[in-house]
Amino acid sequence: MAIIEVKNLVKTYKISEKQNGILGYIKHLLHPKYREQTAVNNVSFNIEEGELVGYIGENGAGKSTTIKMLTGLLTPTSGSVVVNGLVPNEKRIQNNKQIGAVFGQKTQLWWDLPVIESFRLIKKMYDIPEGEYRKNLKKFTEILQLEELLDKQVKNLSLGQKMRCEIAATFLHNPKIVYLDEPTIGLDILVKDNIRKFIKDINKEKKTTVILTTHDLKDIEEVCDRIILIDKGSIIYDGEKEKFKDIYGNKIIAEFVVKNKTKSVTLETQEEDFEVIEETENSLKIRFNHDKLTVINIVDSISKYCEILDMHVQEQGLEEILKEIYRGEIIRD
Amino acid sequence: MLKSMLKIGKMRWQEYNIYPSNFYLFTLNRIVEVVVYIFVWQAIYNQTGNAGGLSIEQMVTYYILVATLRPIILWGCNEDMAYSIRNGQIHKELLNPISYFQYYFGMEIGEFAFATVVGLATFVCCAIFWKVMIPASILHFLLFIFIILLSVPITFSLQMIVGTVGFYSNSIWGMQILRTAIISIFSGIIAPITLFPQWFQTLNNFLPFKELIYTPINIYLGQISLNEIGIIIIKQIIWGILLYMLAKFFFNHAVKKVTINGG
Repeated sequence: MAIIEVKNLVKTYKISEKQNGILGYIKHLLHPKYREQTAVNNVSFNIEEGELVGYIGENGAGKSTTIKMLTGLLTPTSGSVVVNGLVPNEKRIQNNKQIGAVFGQKTQLWWDLPVIESFRLIKKMYDIPEGEYRKNLKKFTEILQLEELLDKQVKNLSLGQKMRCEIAATFLHNPKIVYLDEPTIGLDILVKDNIRKFIKDINKEKKTTVILTTHDLKDIEEVCDRIILIDKGSIIYDGEKEKFKDIYGNKIIAEFVVKNKTKSVTLETQEEDFEVIEETENSLKIRFNHDKLTVINIVDSISKYCEILDMHVQEQGLEEILKEIYRGEIIRD
Repeated sequence: MLKSMLKIGKMRWQEYNIYPSNFYLFTLNRIVEVVVYIFVWQAIYNQTGNAGGLSIEQMVTYYILVATLRPIILWGCNEDMAYSIRNGQIHKELLNPISYFQYYFGMEIGEFAFATVVGLATFVCCAIFWKVMIPASILHFLLFIFIILLSVPITFSLQMIVGTVGFYSNSIWGMQILRTAIISIFSGIIAPITLFPQWFQTLNNFLPFKELIYTPINIYLGQISLNEIGIIIIKQIIWGILLYMLAKFFFNHAVKKVTINGG
């Protein structure tokens, strides 16, 4: 049985419509008008225990709204959410015991106190057995390099240090499910790596289900096995990460350094199956679909017009693919 | 659950004690306040030979005890609560494995502990400069403590009600002032209740505020008979339950603003 079952989930917000001017203000006070806006529209998915799911979409696509409904912080307008047998917004506190959550900049650490005090409070609140607490703390301290941070006041920590502590705090009670809403926002590369490694390690060891929303697609590339892509409140892709690339993007970008160009390659190769993205006197950037063509074909075609000195081939990353989806350039067939 | 609340209380206490100056400044404030009241009453006594129906020793003891109890009755975490609502920290607090009320009751324990220490320090300092009467008897002293403990659910619920206003307004400063003013007038912080008009006293008999300051001090001074104390205890328990239910109902209603409209 799936650990998270989401069925036909809908969330609409009421947004008050304010008119301008004093008259409009008074009108609004007396007779407020509301407009409905759908943030999440008929979303369904199942997540199995131990999955690492990347939940992605543009700003305002409905990611955070979905996560809030999964944690029970928001009541769905319609549809159902069942997390490990519980309906989160009805049994919130019971559900809280089995989950962990990181919400971007909001912290569960006590600002004025040393980090370790917040950890001890978590131990008490979740009733973590002494042995388990020590074991986890030791392990997390090691992976996330917390030794020197534990006795420092939270207010004296840098953003990255704070986030590392926050992540440790979230996993201390061995939650079955963890929601990470932009855990790597604003962090440097080393800290990001650190956190990604930590998530993968814990997932492997404890089969913790992790749902991650992020705008840094490196997070997804390195951590997640599965992608759920949401756009304007609806899911437009749900499946394995690798397949996602196949469906949307199996594209390759080849850069050539050339000389003695005789003609404009862009114009000459208009009929061909590839696309020249950039052309200068000494260089060419070409994108093509790997299903239909190989690099050799490309070399054949363009060597008619110039002499190739060097080339560099690169697979199109998630980021480029998503950019195109967001811009509406790719529509899935 | 109790362990978590005590731990939260301890952390709250630690927060206060990061800056030792907190303690000294708060205590100094209390002392300055009590000095003003005592001087006023000494002046009245010297001119009229009467201190509002009490002896001057009783009146001095009354105000020193007011200064001692005042922080215990008035301090709390409603501003922290309103702040957490305003900046969205409430999302984090709603994800705790203990309820929001339990979490804040833990905070209240820390507030109570710190207020008690400040109150006691004020008492000791004042006792050096003025003659403070000792309690009427050990029994009276124990009842004095008991009535103060009974006020905890009442003051906590009032804190939660004022804090909940934070869902509807981005500043609870006004409500906070209102709460302090109501308690100050009705509980006898400003002046002993017997000095107020009769209708005010009658009204006050039905409200729980008098029992926060005026009643315990009069028990301490031995001015209230044991029979009356029994009735007072029952009244305070009923008020405690009523206000707690009201606070809970108000909060549950208000929190829907977050859980339905998303903040």
